[in-house]
Amino acid sequence: MPKHPWSGKFAIAGLGVVAGHQPDRSERMLAAEATRLAIEDAGLKPKDIGGAIDLRRTGGGGDRASYSDAFPRLLGLNNNFYFVMGRGGALAGLGMAAAMSFIERGIADYVVLTGAVTDWSQAQASRQKGFRGMNHAEKRGYWGKPLGDLRAGSHHSWMAARHMAVYGTTSRQLGHIAVGQRAWAQMNPDAYMCGRPMTIEDYLNSPLLVEPYHLLDISLVSDGAVSFVLTSAERAQSGKAKPVYLLGQGFGEVSAALWWEKKNFTHMAVAPAKAQAFSQAGIELADVDCAQFYDCFTAEVLFQVEDYGFCPKGEGGAFIEAGHIAPGGSIPVNTSGGLLSCYHLGDLTGLAESVLQLRGQAGARQVEDCDIVITSGHGGELVSPGMCSIHTCTVLGRKP
Amino acid sequence: MSAVITASGPWNKPLPSIDHDNAPFWEGLKAHQLLLWRCTRCKAWYWPVCYCRNCDNDPYAGQMRWEQASGLGRIFAFNVHHIAFHPGFKDEIPYVYALIELDEGPLISSTLVGAKLPKDIYDIGQKVEIVFEDHPAEGFTLPRFRIIE
Repeated sequence: MPKHPWSGKFAIAGLGVVAGHQPDRSERMLAAEATRLAIEDAGLKPKDIGGAIDLRRTGGGGDRASYSDAFPRLLGLNNNFYFVMGRGGALAGLGMAAAMSFIERGIADYVVLTGAVTDWSQAQASRQKGFRGMNHAEKRGYWGKPLGDLRAGSHHSWMAARHMAVYGTTSRQLGHIAVGQRAWAQMNPDAYMCGRPMTIEDYLNSPLLVEPYHLLDISLVSDGAVSFVLTSAERAQSGKAKPVYLLGQGFGEVSAALWWEKKNFTHMAVAPAKAQAFSQAGIELADVDCAQFYDCFTAEVLFQVEDYGFCPKGEGGAFIEAGHIAPGGSIPVNTSGGLLSCYHLGDLTGLAESVLQLRGQAGARQVEDCDIVITSGHGGELVSPGMCSIHTCTVLGRKP
Repeated sequence: MSAVITASGPWNKPLPSIDHDNAPFWEGLKAHQLLLWRCTRCKAWYWPVCYCRNCDNDPYAGQMRWEQASGLGRIFAFNVHHIAFHPGFKDEIPYVYALIELDEGPLISSTLVGAKLPKDIYDIGQKVEIVFEDHPAEGFTLPRFRIIE
């Protein structure tokens, strides 16, 4: 299949990761530090950076300074532009699409894209007041709050419930997603759950929080930051780090399907996103060496495994239970441990792992001959009764 | 005639998010009517407020009207909250939070009340009807649902 003219023309030239609990640091310091690491990884200096994009769950507002006190100033970047991009867990995908247009037009040679969270630290504080989970991240305007729809799990669990009711998927099958990713995390020293292995019995015995979801169906609440440098393929080739090429990108939304067609409760907006990204990259599913799927909850992984076509719709439970996405399986999924077992930095978690796999730096969990990785984003508004609408698909490669 | 519950005691939970666009909906609940948004041209129902998907719309969806719905529907999906994420729900867990497909078409969500609650997550499609839960001290009514035959 012929590639799109821009496929392979842009590359990730540097990566910076700050993982682990950071109770004594602000988000802007975490963002600045990850950005410093990414610039250093690329063999660049802050003065080389022509633009900066701040990747946040929600655009605008928020409690973090946007202009005067943001990470570009802390680092003394020479950027010509800086802005905040917010769309749930679809930030790295959207950010790259924006950054490319600045690079293409010569506005910046190198753009840094950085996301940081202090969710774990903030959740500790609200826990003292009797709240559980991400109370600090919830904004006004949700339909269901007075009725007890309080966290993402309050409505995301409907997707799992619906898949179970329609296709007969079992809790044990969902559990194998969590168990498989935990097994991957044992090979990743950066993963929060490294050193804490888990069995299917551990999963089944973990408390039901929002049935059908057990505690171990739910992603981590993390502190940390990920930053990466995007540039032209040409510049990346003369850089310090091994370039990771951007081969294709696609986007989809299921908002209409959600509200009016009631269709997105067992699938995500993968079809348009995959078609766009795969055709730009000139690849087929068989070319994919591993997948880093957005996994805020276990069912999101199940849906994507089916929606991308690794198995037919409705058969994901059995496919996963047979071990296909775990270590040793036919299609490695979320090899870092993902949001469930590594850290939750939105789609930056999968992006960082994709870069490490394509550079051959993934240590004990390295996928052999890893040439092509797909990584996805997911998210957006959580207006109940609703789900995250957007799906982003990014195809990254070891060769342009 | 739909069921009505009158709640007492202080409200210690999040307040409904009422704004200009959805105020008639909340006023309707106080009058024990479930109002949905309906297109005067094609008669399609919508909730929450939106432009008609089938018709060319007047400015600000001017051809749409609030109309009383049956208050009947079926469970599309549900979950059981075994944890109180907010301290106000401490005494209510476990509670069943359901996504309901109204007979008119739109989806709405709420908690289920009454003795008859679904037990098995695989068990969907049960018929429900609205129950109006008045909170006179706070000045709002919440739409809740119960299973009917």
